[in-house]
Amino acid sequence: MLELVNVWKRFGEAQAQTVAVSGVNLRIAKSEFVTLVGPSGCGKSTLFNMIAGLLPPDDDGSLLFGGAPQRDGQLLGKVSFMPQRDLLFPWRTVLDNAILALEVEGTPRKEARERARAMLPEFGLAGFANHYPHQLSGGMRQRVALMRTFLFERDLMLLDEPFGALDALTRTRMQHWLLELWARHRRTVLFITHDIDEAILLGDKVLVMTARPGTVKSETVIDLPRPRDPSVVLTPEFIGLKQRLLAEIEEESQKTFAQEGTAS
Amino acid sequence: MNAQLQRALRSPALAFVGLALVWELCVHAFAPSPRYLPALSAIAQDAWSVWPQLMRGFGRTLLETVLGFAMGAVFGCLCGTVFTYSRWMERSVFPLFVVSQTVPVVAFGALIVIWFGNSLLAKVMTAFFLTFFPVTVNTLRGLKSCDPQRMALMKSFGANRFTMFFKLAVPSALPQVMVGLRVAIGLSLIGSVVGEWFGETVGLGVMLMEAMNADLVVRLWVVMFACGLMGALLYGLLTFVERRLVWWRSES
Repeated sequence: MLELVNVWKRFGEAQAQTVAVSGVNLRIAKSEFVTLVGPSGCGKSTLFNMIAGLLPPDDDGSLLFGGAPQRDGQLLGKVSFMPQRDLLFPWRTVLDNAILALEVEGTPRKEARERARAMLPEFGLAGFANHYPHQLSGGMRQRVALMRTFLFERDLMLLDEPFGALDALTRTRMQHWLLELWARHRRTVLFITHDIDEAILLGDKVLVMTARPGTVKSETVIDLPRPRDPSVVLTPEFIGLKQRLLAEIEEESQKTFAQEGTAS
Repeated sequence: MNAQLQRALRSPALAFVGLALVWELCVHAFAPSPRYLPALSAIAQDAWSVWPQLMRGFGRTLLETVLGFAMGAVFGCLCGTVFTYSRWMERSVFPLFVVSQTVPVVAFGALIVIWFGNSLLAKVMTAFFLTFFPVTVNTLRGLKSCDPQRMALMKSFGANRFTMFFKLAVPSALPQVMVGLRVAIGLSLIGSVVGEWFGETVGLGVMLMEAMNADLVVRLWVVMFACGLMGALLYGLLTFVERRLVWWRSES
């Protein structure tokens, strides 16, 4: 589905150059749920923007989508992308926010609204079609954003810490709801997070990124049986995986810390 | 009942009535020469004595103000848009706009009469001259402050520049554009009154000049009140439109 071969991204010239992403190789199969964790500032967002087509990777690597290499901007409109902030438009209702991508594509408004309306209950938004974003809670806003991403039906969904800003309880609920949703629709997902529990709970595969310059340090297959219910986080298998990944991330965080120490 | 009372106490109408009362009391208590402070009743009486002329003047000045404002608003929005999307235009033409605003409008009066004659258009032009700039600046600022993350999102949906402009940039700039329009409406009134000073027979500006020349102090107050009323009306109307158009403002 998606393959990154030796992808680099450097900013600035010569001496002042910062390498945000270095030599990333990764591969996502169809219908796979891949999670990516890493310390803050590791280039996750840069990687993300490249996969979304918003930022061209440097020339030395290549980005393959469905087997074909992608040049500048070619990925735009091919990947459904959900950034950290919900980015709802305050002047649009829930329904009209959800159909934004469809509208951009040129789907007639009436048809798009019909499709969105049918999906509202599934996203826990039944009865909220005509509400405006400022009338919703954080969790609901995030679900509207997710619905907008879902309605933009593309083979790959990119989710960048979608639950990062939510409180712990809401987050847990949203994670399980997302799992159910995914089980029904089976889209290919790349999910970025800095929460290890979340990464293990959701993913078929967890990728750990190194400190800047970011690259993929390890790939762990999560073979916990699905469907996973909330108690899965208490099983020895889960805890074992968590301990291992935690150690890896801890190591990277310390590197970041040390780098910052020498820089100042 | 209590809430109603509180709301009444906070309403601007009460402040007006209060001010009027204090005014009348002062006039009765200290009996200043009408040159300094005429009684409100005297002002009302004087207004009544020139009622037809006052109404005609009010109508005329209102027309000039509205036309000048409309032209300035349209031109300002267009220029603001062009400057946002063309760096080159912003660099080369925008400084000219700034310079044009440093020249006081009065200095242009004679020139405008030469160019446009003693016509309605001449007053509309002075009003226009004062209004287009604040609208341009605020449109420019509004469009430029469009959230880059939202733009990236639109781009990831495959939006072209056209869609991006109408579905995202325009609505997000609207609150700022309204700020410019609110500044402009007041300036437009000033522009049309000043424009009338350079030769005209009808209008509030004309009445103001006549009163000044004939030393009719009470008449000056009449015209001042008329101008204030017009300004408040126009501003109120604009606020009403704004509430309907950009009601989501409260959010950010």
